[in-house]
Amino acid sequence: MMMEKAFAVAKWEYLEKVKSKAFIIGLFLTPALMVGMGVLPSIFASQEDKQTKVIGLIDPTGEVAGQLTRLMEDKYKLENGSPNYLMKVVAAGKGIDVDAAINEANMKTAADELEGYCLVSKSGSPDSVVEYRSKSVGDFRVSARLEETIRGIYQEKNALAHGLDPSLMRALNVKLDVKMVKLSKTGEKEEAGFETVFLSAYVFLMMLFMLIMISGQMLVRSILEEKSNRIVEVLVSSCSSTELMVGKVLGLSGLGFTQIGFWTLIGVAVTLQFGINIVTAGIAGLLIVYFVLGYLFYAAVFIGAGSPLTTEQEAQQVTSYLVILLIIPLALALPAMKDPGAMWLKILSFVPMLTPTMMALRIPIQMPSTGEIIGTIVLMVVSIYAAMVAAGRIFRIAILSTGKSPKIAEIIRWAIKG
Amino acid sequence: MLKASHLRKVFAATVAVDDVSFEIKRGEIFGLIGPNGAGKTTTIRMILNILEPDSGVIMYDGQPFSGLVQNTIGYLPEERGLYRKSKLLDTILYLAELRGMKRSHARAEALQWLKRFNLTDYRDRKVEELSKGNQQKIQFVIAAIHDPKLLILDEPFSGLDPVNQILFKDIFQELKQAGKGIVFSTHQMDQAEKLSDALCLINRGRVVLDGTVRNVKRQYGKNSVHLEFDGEGDFMKSLPGVHRAIMYENAAELELADGARARDLLGAINGRVEVRKFELLEPSLESIFIQIVGGPEVAARTREAI
Repeated sequence: MMMEKAFAVAKWEYLEKVKSKAFIIGLFLTPALMVGMGVLPSIFASQEDKQTKVIGLIDPTGEVAGQLTRLMEDKYKLENGSPNYLMKVVAAGKGIDVDAAINEANMKTAADELEGYCLVSKSGSPDSVVEYRSKSVGDFRVSARLEETIRGIYQEKNALAHGLDPSLMRALNVKLDVKMVKLSKTGEKEEAGFETVFLSAYVFLMMLFMLIMISGQMLVRSILEEKSNRIVEVLVSSCSSTELMVGKVLGLSGLGFTQIGFWTLIGVAVTLQFGINIVTAGIAGLLIVYFVLGYLFYAAVFIGAGSPLTTEQEAQQVTSYLVILLIIPLALALPAMKDPGAMWLKILSFVPMLTPTMMALRIPIQMPSTGEIIGTIVLMVVSIYAAMVAAGRIFRIAILSTGKSPKIAEIIRWAIKG
Repeated sequence: MLKASHLRKVFAATVAVDDVSFEIKRGEIFGLIGPNGAGKTTTIRMILNILEPDSGVIMYDGQPFSGLVQNTIGYLPEERGLYRKSKLLDTILYLAELRGMKRSHARAEALQWLKRFNLTDYRDRKVEELSKGNQQKIQFVIAAIHDPKLLILDEPFSGLDPVNQILFKDIFQELKQAGKGIVFSTHQMDQAEKLSDALCLINRGRVVLDGTVRNVKRQYGKNSVHLEFDGEGDFMKSLPGVHRAIMYENAAELELADGARARDLLGAINGRVEVRKFELLEPSLESIFIQIVGGPEVAARTREAI
């Protein structure tokens, strides 16, 4: 193999793609998307209502209606001082026709006269059931406030029944907020709450995901283009297919590092600006190792899976399958936070397809053991080698085949036999 | 300069190329001809070392294929294709570098070629802005920029207007004078006939005819009559003594049966049509081609097409 030719390919792939719109958009869109996904929902969720909401009430027990109406209107105010909620009693008291009341409330909700309605269906300690029925169940604040208020009403009733002074009850009530504090290996306290850890694990996963997706798609698209315009014949008559593949992987890696570098800069800038310290240098270094390993492994996977394809549609299908593989750890982020030492996390970390993303998820949450780190790195190096050899064999044959895409069995045969 | 011996390539169940041998000499234009699907492209791919033959040997100046040999070959593929979104000069320089050229040298050469093809103004344009003919010129520049000893051109004239065809032919002659070997494939017989010094006709993966054009024609003898006339000439194909006929509008190429005499033929024709020209000549490559490849059914189809 002549490295000059591989470098010529790498340079071309890098320079042509770094100028492409897809790359530039990805460069800026990814951080924007991550900030958006991390910050926007919480902004929307914490946004106060602008207008008074009318909420219906059906209370067949007749125990809470009066108090609830008063408390909801007094306790929660809009910015301009008027009540946030206006409770409208649809029916209350023992012996009301509940079904008729529900019908009426349903109709009013459908006609947007009511935001929703609250149905006290079962009362009495220890378990009361209250339903909040609405067209949109996304406003969890209404239900939380109703719950809190109604619980207060029952607690007071119970206190009275047991001969306690309700004012004493209020004095006994304690507000508590458990703050999560993450400890580092040495036992030092780190200023990282749940959100920060979750967010950073999430951010790194997203970064790795976007990195692999963007360059993987570019890789497949460039192979497809070269196949369809037959320039690949000129290429492989000028250099070996190995040189061509190595060049492509190198060029795209360069592209990947440009991206990581740019994002790191943004990250450092954000850190300095807001004083949020997401990761230490040690963690960042280790993450980069897994980024590189994951990148190379998936480059081989994309070449192997992409080079036999002949149309854009097929390419999109195949990339969407790979997206699923990459996205698995994102779905596991929450359970992994709850129990970072779980066995299943360790097992999944040793599945080569998932290793880089699983480790990128775990490292910010809780540093895996040194043995695991060395083990997974060795595993990745071996897997990358095997994947590259197999991809090279497929690539060599597939880039010259046009027309119908080969069957999977055929591709596997190429990968094994060469 | 290039010697291929007993090449054979099998794909799945089909034998694409079977026992194909030929030799290309320095300063020679070599036509690789044959109908579509005959095995031309597979043969070319084996010469380019894109495909490995199942058996057989290809030697380049007595050497087996190597990275160094690779840099002495130039290639123009049949279906023209370039990176559509990339700039012209960038594309040329990249592919020149892949042939082992230094960038500065490649740049100087590229500008020379662009000037020759009147494309200097387009050097920073994107490939997709070029016409098909101009793209073909760029493909040729890419094939020739590194001063290869051997040029392999797959259907080089497709998509070119007559003026540019002449330009290409002139350049071929120059390259030939400079001692390069040129292999070109075509299914247009008249082109192969005018351009090539030697040729090799492949059909169904096998060589059915090869040698210098002169020898090939001599082999098929001077038993053809070229005729131009006014009137309805359809009756000629069924005249006794006419072995095979290719009919054109107001012209015909008649191949005489063994022992038939041209004088008798003229007698049979005269009077039924107005003969403007009657010439005894070597058979054209096309008629030889049809004779070998197609048999009567292809000849019939050719007539219908005309």
